[in-house]
Amino acid sequence: MVPYIQAKNLNLTFRPKNRDPVTALLGLDLEASQGEFLSLVGPSGCGKSTFLNVLLGLLKPDSGDIRLNGNRITGPGQERAMVFQEFGLLPWRTVQANVELGLELKGVAAATRRQRSAELITLVGLNGFEQHYPHELSGGMKQRVGLARALATDPDVLLMDEPFAALDAQTRDLMQMELLQIWDRAKKTVLFVTHSIEEAAYLSDRVVIMTARPARTKSTIKINLPRPRDYEMRLSAEFNDIKARIWETLKEELMTRSAGDGS
Amino acid sequence: MGAKRIYQEYQRPILGLVSVAGLFLAWELVLTYLVPLNPFFFTKPSLIATAFQEQVLGGRLWHDLIISSRAFLWGFSCAIAVGIPVGVLMGWRRRAEYTLDPFLTALYASPLVALAPLIIVVFGVGLLAKSVLVFLLAVFPFIFNAFAGVRSTDRLLINVVKSFGGKEKDLYFKVILPSTLPYIVAGTRIAIGRGLVGIIVGEFVAASEGIGFAISRFGDTYQLPEMFAAIFFLMITAIVLTEGMRKLEAALAPWRVGQEAR
Repeated sequence: MVPYIQAKNLNLTFRPKNRDPVTALLGLDLEASQGEFLSLVGPSGCGKSTFLNVLLGLLKPDSGDIRLNGNRITGPGQERAMVFQEFGLLPWRTVQANVELGLELKGVAAATRRQRSAELITLVGLNGFEQHYPHELSGGMKQRVGLARALATDPDVLLMDEPFAALDAQTRDLMQMELLQIWDRAKKTVLFVTHSIEEAAYLSDRVVIMTARPARTKSTIKINLPRPRDYEMRLSAEFNDIKARIWETLKEELMTRSAGDGS
Repeated sequence: MGAKRIYQEYQRPILGLVSVAGLFLAWELVLTYLVPLNPFFFTKPSLIATAFQEQVLGGRLWHDLIISSRAFLWGFSCAIAVGIPVGVLMGWRRRAEYTLDPFLTALYASPLVALAPLIIVVFGVGLLAKSVLVFLLAVFPFIFNAFAGVRSTDRLLINVVKSFGGKEKDLYFKVILPSTLPYIVAGTRIAIGRGLVGIIVGEFVAASEGIGFAISRFGDTYQLPEMFAAIFFLMITAIVLTEGMRKLEAALAPWRVGQEAR
């Protein structure tokens, strides 16, 4: 059977003007099945975000193959949506208008848009803030808008690029729980890039550990914790074992990276 | 106690008013009691006030203002219509920038009012020449500010719109223009000042009516109170226009208020 998401031998090198080229992806292979919650962890700057952007269709790999549901990805498409680390909200648009952005670009009629954005604003718990501008919101609220905007077009695949990295610890815990609830209901395939081992272990079905740049997949750890997961689960010995396993694998890469930095 | 609180509340307008009033009062007092006034060389506020009343309420300066406004509006509208698209294009398309940059740098650096006599020779005395002069002076702030606005557009927002399937047109209208708008409005304030220079210089060089002509004629005939009345009238017009733009800026870009506060 063909995997739902399949990246084969992806290569991508950035060639900035007047600077040395940077190989971000080198022979990257990755697979994900439909409805799966897959996290990517790896040393910072390793190319995780680059991979998400290739999957989103904003970057083209130099070579290799990336497919969704058997179809080659050549550009952005409605079946994928991204939640950005720095939120990426349009500052001149209200919460409601931001949530409607994707629908608007798709050409959905205004009345339908309004209805859909109202549903999603309720889903992410932002009722009463429809007419607020992003600068009037806290970081957590902004990312709720980002999430609602991504969900508005009803994509099959949700790409999340360190979505909670800019939030404070408590907001982050809260958002993780809410994301799990939403994922549980909406049944999307999620590719989640994070720096946090804890976050990856708590949310995912599988955690893919990437090598230091250029990114390849180093190993995959399956998280066999029962769902629905709750916050208390993080205190269990089992959870700590999983974290330790991820850490062991990741550590080698972090060493490689710091050795590489030293040269 | 109450007076003190009122003062603290309105410190800014009160101090502003006091300093302006103080200046006029000092001017008046010095020329009334300390230095004998030679009306051929200078004048004082009380005489200006009388002249202002006659000229403005009498309608003469309003007529000149309308004449000058016509050229201003034509030139200014053309500056907007040309300047914004050129600036946006230069900001978004590197080739356009490289092609146009030498001309803009040269023209912006040179004092274009030096062209006034030539423009009047080419376009004749009247509306057209003055409009061209206003256009030439006012177009650059629009180009440069639109350019800077486009350049400062957040790449992330471009990517967001692209990721939702946005086309080139969507990038312009949903990201680039809204994010450039505050820059354009700020440019408008500068352009108003430069446009007024265009009008006045144009009318100094050759005209038979208009505010600039009025100022120059009053000056030539030693009617100094009238000349100052015309100058203050022009000043008030400029203040109304630029302050209006400031208000408009706040109304058009409410999100900027939050950004500045941060």
